[in-house]
Amino acid sequence: MFNDFFSKFFGRQGSKEAAKKRLKFALVYDKLEISDDLLNDLQRDVVEVISRYFEIDTTAMKLDIKRSDDLSALVFNTPILSAKRK
Amino acid sequence: MEGKIIVVTSGKGGVGKTTATACIGAAMAMQGKKVAVIDMDIGLRNLDVVMGLENRIVFNIVDLARSRCKIQQAAIKDRRIDNLFLIPASQSDNKDSLTPEDIVRLSKGLRGRFDYIFMDCPAGIERGFENAVAAADEALVVCTPEVSSVRDADRIIGLLYAKSITPKLIVNRIVPEMVEKGDMLSHEDVVEVLSIDLIGLVKMDDKVVVSTNTGTPLVLQKDSEAGKAFHRIARRLNGQPNLPIENPYNAKGFWRSLGRKLRHRN
Repeated sequence: MFNDFFSKFFGRQGSKEAAKKRLKFALVYDKLEISDDLLNDLQRDVVEVISRYFEIDTTAMKLDIKRSDDLSALVFNTPILSAKRK
Repeated sequence: MEGKIIVVTSGKGGVGKTTATACIGAAMAMQGKKVAVIDMDIGLRNLDVVMGLENRIVFNIVDLARSRCKIQQAAIKDRRIDNLFLIPASQSDNKDSLTPEDIVRLSKGLRGRFDYIFMDCPAGIERGFENAVAAADEALVVCTPEVSSVRDADRIIGLLYAKSITPKLIVNRIVPEMVEKGDMLSHEDVVEVLSIDLIGLVKMDDKVVVSTNTGTPLVLQKDSEAGKAFHRIARRLNGQPNLPIENPYNAKGFWRSLGRKLRHRN
């Protein structure tokens, strides 16, 4: 009863604070997830742009998302066969 | 006459989509509009039992899409509420029996015949969802103040935006006592996380279970809090968008509401 009284005035954190925190985190995390379709589209576009400047080996190239705890990175690896002369 | 198609959706199952569709549709009909509610959950129909019309089904939405019947044959007239019609789902087909193109094609005839058409969307984000939103002008997203429900609502809202639909939010099954104790997300929390406009707040109400048990429309019960909330949602959709949204919490007395305000600053 006394506890209840204090919690009403001094903002005891109920479980909803945990809910809100977890929810916000989950939504941010969900949005970082990248679908295979998107990755394939990106790869096609990247190849198209790079091919304007370089001959690349499209069979050996690799596009990947590297994830660690607090960041995601886009890694694109491709052997360059030659630069195009303009 | 050019009717409006409103999809009721949520992502997650079991949050009250079907009840919301039945109640808002019925309330809208009681306000004098001609309303069709359509069960888009092919294979798992339930809007018929919630409305108490399950033993009057002859044709269904798949029959209609296959031109095996006319709209007036598929639409079951509710005998308790004037101007309210149900087009049931088929129970024997599956979600792939319909395509979004089917629904777009059907929507022309529906718009000509009704003022409001409510689509009860199945849970999930697959074909059933695609079908239900295919011809929608507006969308209502139903969610409960729970982590899983809000997360799925966020996903659905994103998919609706991608279809150029700006949905409105119904927070369902609010338990005021739990919100006051800080053990349930308040509607303010939910709105903050989802950042979309509210169209109504519905308290947890035992009468929903009772009305589903008997198949009698909740909105006919004068003493149902949830029923009243659905009436107000229907009015907001039907020309009174600025009808104030009532605070669902029993802020009994000054100290209690002060306590709530203090907590809310965190």
